[in-house]
Amino acid sequence: MTEASRVSRYLYTFIVVLIIWLFLTASLDPQELIVGIIFSAIVAGFTYDIFTTRGLSNLHPRRIAYAIIYIPYFLWAMIKANLDVAYRVLHPKRPINPGIVECKTELKNEVGKLALANSITLTPGTITLDIDGDRYFIHWIDVKDSSIEGASEHITKPFEKFLKVIFE
Amino acid sequence: MGEVVSMLKRLLSIILILIIGYWIAQGLANVPFGEDRMLVGKYYLQHVKEQTGAVNAVTAVVVNYRGFDTLGEVTVLFIASTGVAALLWRKRRERTAKTEGSLVLTTGSKLLFPFIMLFGMYIFIHGHLTPGGGFPGGATIATGFLLMYLAFIVYEIPHRGFEVTEGLAGMSYVLVGLIGLAIGGYFLFDWIWQTWHFGTSNLGRLFSGGFIPVIYTLIGIKVGTELSGIIDNMLKEEVKE
Repeated sequence: MTEASRVSRYLYTFIVVLIIWLFLTASLDPQELIVGIIFSAIVAGFTYDIFTTRGLSNLHPRRIAYAIIYIPYFLWAMIKANLDVAYRVLHPKRPINPGIVECKTELKNEVGKLALANSITLTPGTITLDIDGDRYFIHWIDVKDSSIEGASEHITKPFEKFLKVIFE
Repeated sequence: MGEVVSMLKRLLSIILILIIGYWIAQGLANVPFGEDRMLVGKYYLQHVKEQTGAVNAVTAVVVNYRGFDTLGEVTVLFIASTGVAALLWRKRRERTAKTEGSLVLTTGSKLLFPFIMLFGMYIFIHGHLTPGGGFPGGATIATGFLLMYLAFIVYEIPHRGFEVTEGLAGMSYVLVGLIGLAIGGYFLFDWIWQTWHFGTSNLGRLFSGGFIPVIYTLIGIKVGTELSGIIDNMLKEEVKE
């Protein structure tokens, strides 16, 4: 993966930080805007080097559209999975079959891997224990398929199809 | 024998603490709760807006009415940081951590760092409007650097730059006070508000509060760099040549 130019990385960091500032202040008062622009420029100057490797290409409309669709998709998966765990807790026989499985991912980007790991952890029933290259070690409350391919099909694939567009 | 003595010591200290606790409780029982006992406080609340331009009365007290205390606190922090550096001074000190954080930790820290920094700045610039100010803002920024230190085994702050910035910020604070002395006749006189009347029409918006935002920006920078320096000093270990 090639690194974007410094200018593009700086601008991307500046834009993201400025958007966060707008949410923080929740006002479009010109005074707040001036200070926000100055502060964002300073923060971006200090941190763009570690914040991003791809720069402005992160803001491709297709990526943003997928990211916006991903939010409700992910929230729905989270609600379903939480209800599933509640069912397991309340069920008198406690139908659990825990184990640690290995999954493979096709994601190459570090941020994408982080997003995948967090998505897996936040949908209850699965917790990411460690990431090693393209291998994920996941604790699963109800192991349905302990092979690498099978587990990937159940755990990582549903998120990957979105994350691949957003981060690759 | 030793056991009996240590038991006795423990018993004695429990009794002593109980006596002190009872004593303090008796003293506090005489202070009426929920009654209006404000003497100076009332003056602050009634005059804070036209005298300092700050909406947040706490910052007005800390920076304006009782500015010397804050200058003292900044000095205390400076001495603490210098003291740590002096105590841990060695010729060659390096980071010797062995285990790199996992990918989730390192990538997450990289992503969070700008936001922590921005939020710290947000806290100190809005000191005269919202709770917070220079010290919490600076501490928040230092937290960002601590996060980087804990996530990466080789990360180091740029020392020279940090030490110079810290000194300059402290000096500028004193300088702002000295300008007040020249204009208004006493140290830490709020010249931006009282003499220039800057921001008088902006009460409650960002460009108000006299020199409070200026001083809190300086304090935020100073505290942020200072605490980061302390973290850096404490995380490094001596290396044999």
